[in-house]
Amino acid sequence: MNQIEVENLAVKKGDASILKGIEFSAKQGEFVAIVGGSGSGKTTFLQALAGFIPFSGKVIMPENKGMIFQQYAAFPWLTVRENIMFGLDKHAPEQREKIVAEHIRLSRLEGKENDYPGQLSGGQIQRVALARSLAHDPEVLLMDEPYGALDAYTRDQMQEWLMDVWTKYKKTIIFVTHNIEEAIFMADRVLVLKEGKFTEEFKIEFKRPRKEEIKFMEEFNRMKKEIYRAI
Amino acid sequence: MKKILRFILPIFIVALVWGFISRASIVNPFLFPPPSKVFLAFLEMIRSGVLFSDMKDSLWRLLIGLLLGSVLGIVIGLITGRVKKISSFIVPIIQVLRPLPPVAIIPLVIVWFGIGDGAKIFSIAFGVIFPVWLNTHIGAQQIPEAFLWTAKLLTKSTIKTFRKVILPAATPFIVAGIRTAIAVSFVMIFVSELAGASSGLGYRISIAQLSYRLDEMIAALFVLGALGALVDMLFVYSTKKIFPWLKLENK
Repeated sequence: MNQIEVENLAVKKGDASILKGIEFSAKQGEFVAIVGGSGSGKTTFLQALAGFIPFSGKVIMPENKGMIFQQYAAFPWLTVRENIMFGLDKHAPEQREKIVAEHIRLSRLEGKENDYPGQLSGGQIQRVALARSLAHDPEVLLMDEPYGALDAYTRDQMQEWLMDVWTKYKKTIIFVTHNIEEAIFMADRVLVLKEGKFTEEFKIEFKRPRKEEIKFMEEFNRMKKEIYRAI
Repeated sequence: MKKILRFILPIFIVALVWGFISRASIVNPFLFPPPSKVFLAFLEMIRSGVLFSDMKDSLWRLLIGLLLGSVLGIVIGLITGRVKKISSFIVPIIQVLRPLPPVAIIPLVIVWFGIGDGAKIFSIAFGVIFPVWLNTHIGAQQIPEAFLWTAKLLTKSTIKTFRKVILPAATPFIVAGIRTAIAVSFVMIFVSELAGASSGLGYRISIAQLSYRLDEMIAALFVLGALGALVDMLFVYSTKKIFPWLKLENK
């Protein structure tokens, strides 16, 4: 049974059609990557899924979802601890503390609890943002090029870490990126978005848990070339 | 030590040049008394107790007016910056009042409130509200959507979103607005004490003018200027302490 269902989704900004009749579905626990060139509508698709912008068509999404942005990922005026605690009002204080402690450990942010995002590296800020979302226990995570601004080494580390987190929590992830290698390394499926429509879909069959080494395999490079051509 | 020296040295040089001009009678020393005479007048004002009582009266009027005007400016600015329906009603009213030079309302305020403290506090708050409102309004409008969207996903409470997201996100703008307002509040306290007051630094300056005590007048002007600088410095220092993340963001 699909957890996300999208039928004939269209988004207009002024006179421009950004998304044109999108069909999409995802199963619970699936990791779907969406790639495409600049202006293809990747970010708009996530914003429509999240319900942030007006659209036409049908979107069935779980109520409880999280979204991670490339910029303004964490609230700069809150410490790491306060950021993670932001969405936990419904929990009792002791339980809140427990959840925060668990996510600080999971995000490898021990010792940084009282630091502000301005004191952290780009990778650490992204981990705070993900920890804050996960602490809220969403059913679906929408990630909008979260690692787009990171250097190559940090990006690789973050990909492996996200894989660990995803294996542990099995949340459905819709991951938008312009980096094909990143998409193949992490996703079950890679969708190509072109001029407001999904034009191709690639199933990624590499066994899990995936390690950095698969990026040097012939099959990986062949797939990279194919997706590159499709974009 | 170097910092203090860098601050004091230009003042010292100005005082030296000023003393020279006055003593060499390049200008009439009666109209331009030397720094030594101004300093003596300053000491006399301390000794007689008028300086501290004037400072106290001016400062508390100023701080209450500044506080009232700032709080109102922030609250209205946050609302007009974020709630379109209310904004379309309130902004035109503010835009008509805003270009008024704040000192122009003083005659009207005297008629309304008399010459008591209420009139002065009202005048200061009136001068303060507009720069704080404008900065807060712009700050609230320019909050990155990512912050608001994140808040929307994590909380259903509008009050929490205003308190924990919109207010802090607009804080750099609010701080800038209040710094402008501090300067405006000193103009307002001075002008409102010139007309219809029996205490305060503005009153002291006007009395000194009537009795041709230019030394006392200049001393009181210096005190007013120094107070302005001190309040601004204290404000900057306390914002750095209260909002340590602001400095990090600017980096």
